[in-house]
Amino acid sequence: MSDHIVSSYDKDLEDLRRSISEMGGIAEKMMNEAGHALVRRDTELAQAVIAADARLDVLQREIEERAVLLIARRQPLAIDLRETISAIRVSNDLERIGDLAKNVAKRVVAIASEIQSQKIVVGLQHMGDLVQEQLKDVLDAYASRDIKAAHDVWERDGAIDALYNSLFRELLTYMMEDPRNISFCTHLLFCAKNIERIGDHTTNIAETIHYLATGENLPTDRPKNDASNYTMVEPPAGA
Amino acid sequence: MNAPTEITQAQLTGRHQADENAPIRIAVKDLNFYYGSFHGLKSVNLNFHDRQVTALIGPSGCGKSTLLRTFNRIYSLYPEQRAEGQIMLDGRNILDPRIDLNELRSKIGMVFQKPTPFPMSIYDNVAFGLRLYERLSKADLDIRVEESLRKAALWDEAKDKLKQSGMGLSGGQQQRLCIARTVAQRPEVILFDEPTSALDPISTGRIEELIEQLRSEFTIVIVTHNMQQAARISQFTAFMYLDELVEFGPTTRIFMNPEKRQTQDYITGRFG
Repeated sequence: MSDHIVSSYDKDLEDLRRSISEMGGIAEKMMNEAGHALVRRDTELAQAVIAADARLDVLQREIEERAVLLIARRQPLAIDLRETISAIRVSNDLERIGDLAKNVAKRVVAIASEIQSQKIVVGLQHMGDLVQEQLKDVLDAYASRDIKAAHDVWERDGAIDALYNSLFRELLTYMMEDPRNISFCTHLLFCAKNIERIGDHTTNIAETIHYLATGENLPTDRPKNDASNYTMVEPPAGA
Repeated sequence: MNAPTEITQAQLTGRHQADENAPIRIAVKDLNFYYGSFHGLKSVNLNFHDRQVTALIGPSGCGKSTLLRTFNRIYSLYPEQRAEGQIMLDGRNILDPRIDLNELRSKIGMVFQKPTPFPMSIYDNVAFGLRLYERLSKADLDIRVEESLRKAALWDEAKDKLKQSGMGLSGGQQQRLCIARTVAQRPEVILFDEPTSALDPISTGRIEELIEQLRSEFTIVIVTHNMQQAARISQFTAFMYLDELVEFGPTTRIFMNPEKRQTQDYITGRFG
């Protein structure tokens, strides 16, 4: 893309891109560290994740204000308008991802001292790794305007939903087996839900990349495999 | 759970929606224009739809005013200028030398960049063409003048000073007077050549509002350098560059997602 006649216009858009990229870096790190903190029951790392969220919130507001100013001052059109709108959307998704990672970290602090089965945590870790990869891929796709890579991310979210559904069943089963599991299993259930939601925001970003590149929106019906809304688990016999 | 229905383009853009099925009022076919030996328009093909506003955009010297000037053959005032090809209006080629120019110009009115009121009263400005071409009684003439001034949204401001000179009006009022004078001929098409570039934002807003209203009766073609104006008031946009038509389509598409690189560069201010 060639430069604008007014060079400060390029700088405005560049600033937006840079802030998005900073937000992406922070969100990725928070997500990663929240996962590690959960597996290792590392409350110190969890506290660091909680603290990192403030910067994301600041950046998100900053991007929104800059984008609104840019619209007011320059009345962007075509690709410039789509880029400005996309920056607002993506910054919202990244801010939410930060909130969700922060919530996982808070729960790590809450359940760290409880005895827990490492086996369930491993399932969560696997799901976290998948989402982590999705987030990384979608941020790369955004930076490089790679619509193919964005579509791949969009398609893969179904696998995460399926995994979440099986974790949901597993956690319910543990709770039924022994009521002493209920407290930390509930926390883990929320962690799983948060990670699944991060996956959803990741697909939102993939949709925004599609819009940015083509000017059109992807269909509203994304491949979804989250059946947990309808899932019931029978109590074990004799319970 | 019912799947949400997709929002249609028509719902999104509402009255700004381009009606691509509207009848074609002017069909330009393989139009070439020459200023002496200079090739000023290169095989332009373009349709203008009935009761739609079509904006012509492009950098200075790209041929948009030249194109506009072919529609009422105003160029024929200059012997070294000539047009080849076809411009079909009501089944006739207006480039045909047998066309009666006075009749043509009563069908295709034009409003210029700078207001051009005649040095006479407001009333006489509007009645000028009517007195030339139509034999109307005084009462009928009064009706037509009032009707025209109303359509040009000038009646309320001018009704108490119809005998005063049109030159005494403000710039925006003078422009609306010129629109009233054009509308009085009951044309089919109105051409606007940068009608607001000499006006302040309030007068500009009034003219834009007026164009929106006139669209219910006339086919409108407007040349403008103001991208946002084209985006605001037109249903179709044609982008011209270096004497050629580069891209034509519904305004919403041209301004959100143009197909051609040159169009995108121009509307986003990247032309080097």
